[in-house]
Amino acid sequence: MIGAALYLVGRSLLNATRRRVARLRQPKYLIGLVVGGLYFYWFFFRPRRGAGLGAIASPGGEIVAVGLVGALVLLKWLFGSAETPFTFSLAETQYLFTAPLTRRQVIDFKLVRSQLPLFISAVLSALVFSSGQVTGLRVFRVVGLWLVYSTLQLHYAGASLVWASLTQHGVTGLRRRLGALLGLASLSALVWWSLRRALPGIVAAFQDGSTQGYAALTSVMHSGALAVLLWPLEALVAPLLATSPALFASRLPAALLVLAVHYVWVVRSTLAFEEAAVEHAAKVARRIEAARQARWGERTLRARQATGLIRLRLAATGAPAGAILWKNAVGATRDLSQRALVLVVVLVIGGAMAFANGPLRALDLVAVMLLALGAVALVLGPVAARCDLRQDLEMLDVLKGYPVHGREMVGGEVAAPVMLIGLVVWSCLLGAFAATAARPGPELPPLGDRLALLLAALPATAAVLLVLVLVQNAAVLLFPAWIGVGRDRAVGLEATGQRILMTAGSMIALIVALVPAVLAGGITGVAAHAAGLSTVWALPLGSLVGSGVVGFEGALAVHFLGGVFDRIDPAAAGTG
Amino acid sequence: MIEVQGLTKSYGSVAAVRDLSFSVAPGEVLGLVGPNGAGKTTTLRSLAGIVRPAGGTIRVGGHDMERDPVAAKRVLAFMPDEPHLFDYLTVEEHLRFTARLYQVADVERRLPALLQELELSEKAKALPGELSRGMKQKLVIGCGLLHDPSALLFDEPLTGLDPAGIRRMKQTIRERARQGAAVVLSSHLLHLVEEICTRVLILHRGRKVALGTIEEMLTERPDLRGRSLEDIFLTLTGT
Repeated sequence: MIGAALYLVGRSLLNATRRRVARLRQPKYLIGLVVGGLYFYWFFFRPRRGAGLGAIASPGGEIVAVGLVGALVLLKWLFGSAETPFTFSLAETQYLFTAPLTRRQVIDFKLVRSQLPLFISAVLSALVFSSGQVTGLRVFRVVGLWLVYSTLQLHYAGASLVWASLTQHGVTGLRRRLGALLGLASLSALVWWSLRRALPGIVAAFQDGSTQGYAALTSVMHSGALAVLLWPLEALVAPLLATSPALFASRLPAALLVLAVHYVWVVRSTLAFEEAAVEHAAKVARRIEAARQARWGERTLRARQATGLIRLRLAATGAPAGAILWKNAVGATRDLSQRALVLVVVLVIGGAMAFANGPLRALDLVAVMLLALGAVALVLGPVAARCDLRQDLEMLDVLKGYPVHGREMVGGEVAAPVMLIGLVVWSCLLGAFAATAARPGPELPPLGDRLALLLAALPATAAVLLVLVLVQNAAVLLFPAWIGVGRDRAVGLEATGQRILMTAGSMIALIVALVPAVLAGGITGVAAHAAGLSTVWALPLGSLVGSGVVGFEGALAVHFLGGVFDRIDPAAAGTG
Repeated sequence: MIEVQGLTKSYGSVAAVRDLSFSVAPGEVLGLVGPNGAGKTTTLRSLAGIVRPAGGTIRVGGHDMERDPVAAKRVLAFMPDEPHLFDYLTVEEHLRFTARLYQVADVERRLPALLQELELSEKAKALPGELSRGMKQKLVIGCGLLHDPSALLFDEPLTGLDPAGIRRMKQTIRERARQGAAVVLSSHLLHLVEEICTRVLILHRGRKVALGTIEEMLTERPDLRGRSLEDIFLTLTGT
């Protein structure tokens, strides 16, 4: 069985590596790999301050490590579910559960298969926390972390088996949690009883210095009932804390013993988990599918309903672009929960009232929060809201079958996020203005100036929004292979590099598009000012002219992209 | 109604369809058959205006697909083998959306009857995720028939349908042809092709191997007389 698991792990790794290497012949992957590699080098190996993982060997290190692992164990017992002890893929459930294997063999297979991801997690953890410096001792730390992760995995599986067993015996819900809480209360009582007498000494030691304090605490942890209680945790983390290879070797057997006891605990379970595992595998597959479609997990899928915020009826005749806009707007608002919107409003108003202080009135804070919300929506909205070609290009076959010109299709697709995000941004701006409309006082500009600023901001934000959304849609139409349309998204170092390059490209396009608009708007504003208009009232005029230029650029871009849409081949776009 | 002249399409160095010519008259049902990779789907997608041929011309209802694709597509309906639906539009909204794209002014009047005909009245407010594969297939067909197309393209139309659905689908295809539509049907189910198609086009490696009624094919190959379409197909394609 172990041989089969090793074969699967080995072949999967080899084939995945071969495929990755083979696709490096395409420049987009090679360039992506180089950029992604540089990014990872910068992220992991750049010189950083602090001792990183080395600090774990400090006097307080053992306490922190034992505390962390203990907290993870407690959390599992308190909030863990009886769902499944191991997460199997759909393919694994299909092959393993129908094969002539004992339950123990299935568990062995799963354990062996999960070691590679656990090892990679240990390596990455060690790299992240050790400033990328690879030394002999840090290799031992990787092994130490690997042991901790593997044991925790077994412990979680064992806990799930216990929960599942209790569930099968009718102990569910609150009663099950009550048992865990009672156990936790008993442990807390035992810890308190052990620390009670030593506590004044520990506090005094900490007053002398942290080193003395940690030493006193460690000494208490290693004596009496507490020592017995914490021994498995201490034994498990001890190799990770070793300061020399010899110490590591001497601590390893105890940690392996803890691991072995966990293994025996799990494999001796007679509980049938196959059905739960199959159900869980299907659920995980649905979540992955949802994530690949850029949706926010299983919950969103369940929450999606046939009603949305937009309930406009589509007229049977009219411009086809209107139908595309309507379709995307309806879809986008279906993912929005009305409860979430109410929550945002409550948070803005409640937060403002809570923080209102002295001259800063609640309505001032409402205005500030609305402006911040609007700015976030303006900058991140076009990236996050994919209710346009980024989402629909996956259905290119269907779209191209419609009797609609490419320019109308692109226009309708781009209009949906511009309209929806614009609605949010403008609501925030108008809300912020309204919140301070009746506000006199020297802290804010006069009402007339505020009105001028609002009138300047409305077209300007719409123009920026249009450019940002157009850039995203142009990228997906012109470089579909780089963006990754729909479900088949590339992963790995190359994909990270590709995304970095696309983001940089989008920023350059944004700047190029805004330059003529800023120039035209600026010249208009200066001319208006020279003609006698006050500076603040010259702003709306300049903004309007600049936005008009962006609108013209947008129309040209939609026309151009429409031609691209008409010519695009679904097979070449990776969607056919 | 559908006229294809010298259709050619390649994917990289692989020629999917080579110099293919045929026509389908109103009321005719043309069966498009061939082994996997013969070029059936590419032909259908070219006819639907989804892919641009490298060479040749396609005319649907007198409109050139290259020069006036919008007019050509307006009289056409393509029913793919996999029902592709927008997962955030309900059944009824799919029909309304399609009506707007094809400018079907009387959709309001036709909707209830169409939903009833498709047996989707109770699912009118349901999203695609709540529909079975057969229901999705029915919705795609409903969307396709909404604008009364005069040219119909079916790619494996029976996939995923239950026996009653299969019977209804065959009736629909026959009925539309009787009403004067030109139908192209691509399928691996040779008994279906034999049953409802008036002519058959056999493709192999992107080339036309045979075109005509089964009788015409047997006239050309008397050695195959008395054999089924399956035997004729396997002999002509050498598979």
